[in-house]
Amino acid sequence: GAGQDVGRSCILVSIAGKNVMLDCGMHMGYNDDRRFPDFSYITQNGRLTDFLDCVIISHFHLDHCGALPYFSEMVGYDGPIYMTHPTKAICPILLEDYRKITVDKKGETNFFTSQMIKDCMKKVVAVHLHQTVQVDEELEIKAYYAGHVLGAAMFQIKVGCESVVYTGDYNMTPDRHLGAAWIDKCRPDLLISESTYATTIRDSKRCRERDFLKKVHETVERGGKVLIPVFALGRAQELCILLETFWERMNLKAPIYFSTGLTEKANHYYKLFITWTNQKIRKTFVQRNMFEFKHIKAFDRAFADNPGPMVVFATPGMLHAGQSLQIFRKWAGNEKNMVIMPGYCVQGTVGHKILSGQRKLEMEGRQILEVKMQVEYMSFSAHADAKGIMQLIRQAEPRNVLLVHGEAKKMEFLKQKIEQEFHVSCFMPANGETTTILTNPCIPVDISLGLLKRETAIGPLPDAKKPKLMHGTLLMKDNSFRLVSPEQALKELGLAEHQLRFTCRVHIQDPRKEHETGLRVYNHLKGILKDYSVQHLPDGSITVESILIQATAHSEDQGTKVLLVSWTYQDEELGSYLTSLLKKGLPQSTP
Amino acid sequence: VCVAGYGQSDGNEILQLIPPPTLLTKETQGLCPERDFKVECGGFSERPVYSLKYVPDTSLLVTSGPPDSSLQVWQVSAEDSDVIKSVSTIATENGTGQSWAKIATISAKDPWVLHGTRLDRVQITEVESRKNVYTAASRGSEELSGLAFLDCNTLLLCCATGRLCLADIRQPQSLVEAVSVPSAPCSEQWCVGSRHAAQALEPSSQPVARLSSRGHLTLTDLRKSSEFLALAKARVPSPGSGADFLCVSWAPALEGYLAISGFDGTVHVYDTQSWDSSGREAEPIFVHKGHAFGGAGGSGDPPLVTVHTWHLQKPRTLLSAASDGSLHVWDWVQPCGKC
Repeated sequence: GAGQDVGRSCILVSIAGKNVMLDCGMHMGYNDDRRFPDFSYITQNGRLTDFLDCVIISHFHLDHCGALPYFSEMVGYDGPIYMTHPTKAICPILLEDYRKITVDKKGETNFFTSQMIKDCMKKVVAVHLHQTVQVDEELEIKAYYAGHVLGAAMFQIKVGCESVVYTGDYNMTPDRHLGAAWIDKCRPDLLISESTYATTIRDSKRCRERDFLKKVHETVERGGKVLIPVFALGRAQELCILLETFWERMNLKAPIYFSTGLTEKANHYYKLFITWTNQKIRKTFVQRNMFEFKHIKAFDRAFADNPGPMVVFATPGMLHAGQSLQIFRKWAGNEKNMVIMPGYCVQGTVGHKILSGQRKLEMEGRQILEVKMQVEYMSFSAHADAKGIMQLIRQAEPRNVLLVHGEAKKMEFLKQKIEQEFHVSCFMPANGETTTILTNPCIPVDISLGLLKRETAIGPLPDAKKPKLMHGTLLMKDNSFRLVSPEQALKELGLAEHQLRFTCRVHIQDPRKEHETGLRVYNHLKGILKDYSVQHLPDGSITVESILIQATAHSEDQGTKVLLVSWTYQDEELGSYLTSLLKKGLPQSTP
Repeated sequence: VCVAGYGQSDGNEILQLIPPPTLLTKETQGLCPERDFKVECGGFSERPVYSLKYVPDTSLLVTSGPPDSSLQVWQVSAEDSDVIKSVSTIATENGTGQSWAKIATISAKDPWVLHGTRLDRVQITEVESRKNVYTAASRGSEELSGLAFLDCNTLLLCCATGRLCLADIRQPQSLVEAVSVPSAPCSEQWCVGSRHAAQALEPSSQPVARLSSRGHLTLTDLRKSSEFLALAKARVPSPGSGADFLCVSWAPALEGYLAISGFDGTVHVYDTQSWDSSGREAEPIFVHKGHAFGGAGGSGDPPLVTVHTWHLQKPRTLLSAASDGSLHVWDWVQPCGKC
């Protein structure tokens, strides 16, 4: 999906030879094949089971799981599908609901059936938060709390020491019924983040809520009715808590109703998965269940005709069918009434039409509906904006960042901001594009005990906090890597050890005899290299540790002496140092 | 709306924001769907941005800030990218102890930027070619607190001491004229607010307002500059925060209304039509306190309003920014019936 469209989320990741599919969403705006992801990217023909190691679903919104039954039953996939417990419980309800509207109301034929939804859910493996799940010997996954909606999770996918974190939709600010997303400093190689709202700077929540409450209050005060179309699970609970608190504080008497359908099930799920709500709700749950409202009652169809003010939450959210549409038709003609759309509406729905300004709608049977009621739009969606994305990157410390669902042209600034602040690479692929990320995998190597003992004996004592540099020889045979001492390596490979000896000639000006020059060199070096063993041998040569220095006369020039400095490869450092020291010449006055 | 940071370290951002559609006045087809601002494009500035002005009729921005008096020119909108790019630098002679340049822009014949730090270093530079087209002749070396184009030929310069000067760019040789100011206590610093060059029909007939760091306000008609149209005192906290953020501006759509800020976390709106020359304390029509309450609360210094401006079309709507990074768009309701 592009821009802020409700798109069909579906991302394929190949990590260390494993293929994982992240989300399998449906595009709500299309009625043809474009509503499903294009699985031909994986394979042109046949079932997908062999090509994928697992599928992960982040949350129950249809743009993330809507194509799942189509994918698993109609295209064909029998492997595991991972999601959190609330997602597993709620997904099939939403899928069935959507299927009913698409097939029964709209008469579509090429769509998945109820049985397919059931068969698809049988392949689901539910996971808990922060639980490491072994998909196979090498691949493991872990879910993190994402906020956004009940049961939404961010997933970490790990193979060996390479890992990817996929955020799905997340929210970095807590709201009235859900907490904020959280992840530990897991330092993944790649963080895949949704960036639909990345260019938005959010208005303060308090102002937005106050505006909403003001509109509702004003309408109710003048005797009007307020219709709020919602999806049963999601922002509805947030708005219910908001209104309930407001009603209580202002001591308002007008009734608030929540329409039937998914209501009971919705509240049931929130109670069931109470650990997924925010801390405040969990803490107060013992005294008072936040989802048992004092001022909000169950709706009955007949109430819509009652006189006087009221507020009704009705499903579905885009006024495209069902109860909310029915109520809308009843109330649209009265200008005292108001409809408040709390979320984005897909093109083609009544919700979208009235938000675009249409005031005369054609209904079934060629009936024209004149809309005189006030139409308001207040977006309460819980997505991370640019600040939230930066916060998550700060928490997780990924090495690379990939942004999905944004328009490339509009993301350049955010990309630079991320690259500058965190010094990581940032990618923004389009649909169908492949991005390759380079990682630095750790390769485990066995070290021989003898080498370990020997190396730890040399130099400073081992310190748990400091890395220690060791020298050895790496033997690679079949699939094993071993670090052994050079001697052992030579022995195993049947090679002979070679000795390297370097000899360097340093010319110095000295007209004296060789013997005297040698003495001068000896005294000079002895004076400087106080920590080293400097010897003057009977034959006139000088040794510094195991390095040999001899002074000879230059064959052509009596005034020049040639110092031969000779050392083995192991003494390279000292040898080079001595050479440069001697090149500087000898001090003038030496005994 | 363009906002920029002025933090000490580098990596200050310049953001061009699109306000939510409710705040734009062009005809919207349907409803205004959001309350959120969108970042249309953004850029990075190595130096803190103390002053930022659009160059009218172009897609360029000019900024200035410490450590010197040079100006930075930026390209804002580009077809294929949302990054605000640095285009060029307008260099100025750097005397010792030069502070940052005050700037004003106009696009009469060509896009020009008027800039300077002191009375004797005022110039007009053509933005695109960076050619100097005018240098003010002046003997004073007082520090400037503001400058403006009253029209395409007339410049208004205000010193920090409160001294106002006028210059006609058609006569570059003649010195700028000073306009008298009441004997002000020396510790006060002044800033000026005048009608925007594009709005005023007869620019010299519009009164010029001056605000001091103690809250004194003077209104002057530039044609009769030896006397004051009005004097008043605003009820503001004693000058603790210095004069860096003093700001006074006239409402573009409300006759006689002006706003002041820079003393604390509030913005005051006054109706000057009831003022006289007595200099007594004036009652604000409205005080915006949002910045003082809106923040995260408790910890740290209370936010200070750094700048404010009026919405060009909506009569009682203002925008204000504060030291905590907040941007408020607000209006007030007139208590009595009339609009």
